[in-house]
Amino acid sequence: MKREDKLSRLKEIKADIRSGTYEAAWTALGLIAAPDDDLLLQTRFAALARAIPKETLALKPLRVAILATSTVDQLKESLRFWLAREGLVAEILMSEFGTLQQTVLNPDSEVYDFSPDVVMLFTNYRDIQAEVPPGSSWEEVRRAVDSAVEESAVLWRFLRERLNCHILQNNADLPHSRVFGNFEGTAHWGRLNVLREFNLSMARAAFSNVTILDMDAISSAYGKVRWHDNRYWHHSKHAFALDATGLVAFEAAKVIGAVKGMAKKCIVLDLDNTLWGGVIGDDGIEGIILGPGLGAEAEAYSEFQHYVLALKQRGILLAVCSKNDEENAREPFLKHSGMALTLGDIAVFVANWDNKADNIRRIAETLNIGLDSIVFIDDNPAERELVRLFLPMVSVPELPEDPTAYIATVSAGGFFETTGFSKEDELRSSYYKDNASRNQFQTQFGDLSQYLQSLAMRAEIGGFDQSRLPRVTQLINKSNQFHLTTTRYNEAELQAMAKDPAIRCLSFNLEDRFGDNGLISAVILRPRDNEALYIDTWTMSCRVLQRSMEEFIFAEMHRLAQQGSYRRLLGTYIPTKKNTLVKELYKRLGFSKIGAKDGTTHWELDLTSPFAEPKTYVLREEVEATA
Amino acid sequence: MNQDDKDVIQVRLTAIFRQVFDDDSIELFDEMTADDIDEWDSLTHITLIVAAEKEFEVRFNAAEIQRLKNVGGMIALLIERTAT
Repeated sequence: MKREDKLSRLKEIKADIRSGTYEAAWTALGLIAAPDDDLLLQTRFAALARAIPKETLALKPLRVAILATSTVDQLKESLRFWLAREGLVAEILMSEFGTLQQTVLNPDSEVYDFSPDVVMLFTNYRDIQAEVPPGSSWEEVRRAVDSAVEESAVLWRFLRERLNCHILQNNADLPHSRVFGNFEGTAHWGRLNVLREFNLSMARAAFSNVTILDMDAISSAYGKVRWHDNRYWHHSKHAFALDATGLVAFEAAKVIGAVKGMAKKCIVLDLDNTLWGGVIGDDGIEGIILGPGLGAEAEAYSEFQHYVLALKQRGILLAVCSKNDEENAREPFLKHSGMALTLGDIAVFVANWDNKADNIRRIAETLNIGLDSIVFIDDNPAERELVRLFLPMVSVPELPEDPTAYIATVSAGGFFETTGFSKEDELRSSYYKDNASRNQFQTQFGDLSQYLQSLAMRAEIGGFDQSRLPRVTQLINKSNQFHLTTTRYNEAELQAMAKDPAIRCLSFNLEDRFGDNGLISAVILRPRDNEALYIDTWTMSCRVLQRSMEEFIFAEMHRLAQQGSYRRLLGTYIPTKKNTLVKELYKRLGFSKIGAKDGTTHWELDLTSPFAEPKTYVLREEVEATA
Repeated sequence: MNQDDKDVIQVRLTAIFRQVFDDDSIELFDEMTADDIDEWDSLTHITLIVAAEKEFEVRFNAAEIQRLKNVGGMIALLIERTAT
């Protein structure tokens, strides 16, 4: 859409807001707003979003502190907008210009009263004091770089000791001006090489609650010559080109979204003219355009498949949703030598003539994931439109006509930001695929108990020790559906709980005849008034739902509570948009309701009365210390 | 200074002011400064200048950016910079 068209669309959106049709206005704004729109447009997006009452949009609250060494007023407003697009309504604290260090290092400063969820340390290359004289030794370079990194690390540690927050730290946006020309890329003491060394060293120094906002990558993608607009640095201490404001805000919002569990989990792919050129049903296996060395288009489709495969290998689920006869749709996967993707890579394969919105809904159900964690890729504008209309929570990027630009489009969407990579991410795709075979398997059994019995499930119970902590953190922060209280704790908080002898921290791994499901549940139990044990947190991966795992976990909690001579086991259900699944869980498990307010319900189980252990098909593997 | 050129530039600049301040009633006059528009602060001033650079396809230098304080000055500079 052209800039003028966007500006006139914004007028219509403003009218919508005036007349109180907020949801329509918000959706329309989402369709036209792009990160690379210029400063004026970003300003208008932010202003219109401000005019929409936030309570009409069901956003989650978030507190962000921006501590910067440059002017970030424009960035702040744009960040608020892009965070809202991520589903977060942000209260933002901005420190006085140029007081980053003082604010962090003063324990009485406003940032500690504010208690932010996220602290952005917004620096730029000018802040990095690592220059060495030409001809310096490698040891001198190392010393200079280490001491520059330490300047940041001191701040992280100071923040970590006083706040339970995630830290977003800029790396150095390398300048494009050079003293030694290309030789700066050769000599280890060259200014650019020293800054590169700094960026790598800082990344290595970052601990688990620190994520690097890769300003060097962002500025490179924007173009260094445009990015380093020194006019506005010298005029008003703006550290980068003002027209890149939206882009920086968008990237930061995506990372913060990932911290808050908003990242996408699954990519649903069309086939014809998306994974290959041409129409398999018409052109046949010989006719479709695909494969290296067979021309520009064929190569582009091939590259795109490799990109999708790389996403799968990092734990993103792949699904196919195509209007085709199933046999035709599968044929290239089985017979075409140019295919990088195999049927084994696809967790759910749907090829039929039903409408795609219904099919995507079915894919989400099969995989037990929310529709808002799906990205839909289709070359056909009509299909994209239909999905946007019926499933507005699904992300539908505008795919360009040219397949050589598919990769850049999906990448720029920032759908799959993450703050870590766990063993489970590596294995996830295969878990879900195992699940798909389980579902097919299920149809062969007359009744559920027979099926569950046949799964030969074995669970291992552990605590929150170092090896399990990253996955436990991920589960507690990313799960939405099976999460009774939707409590979110960061790694540091969980580590502290694991060390607290009064708190019982439990994690559960599940294996079955199809394979290892990995760590699938986390539970935090806190004593209350000495006589009761309270289920502070109970979350479980939905891919093991309805397999009597809940019953198994409950029995374990019950056992622990009795062991501790508690008289009551207490539970709470706090409703969210996504966890209605477990609304009646405590009731099903035999708890009685002792209170309710605004949808939140409180439950109690009397431990002094006889316990009818619920039926479970999960066997207990072994018990490790729950320290 | 050709009055027609000035009028054309003033019309285009008016559109920018209206977009930046989200107010279709704004009418520009030469002596107009930040005192005349409530929302005209250092933040919107930058937005205004960046938007004008885009609209008129010009690049102001740092000294010019610093100097631009009233509408008349902006129009004069734009006439100078867009003169062919």
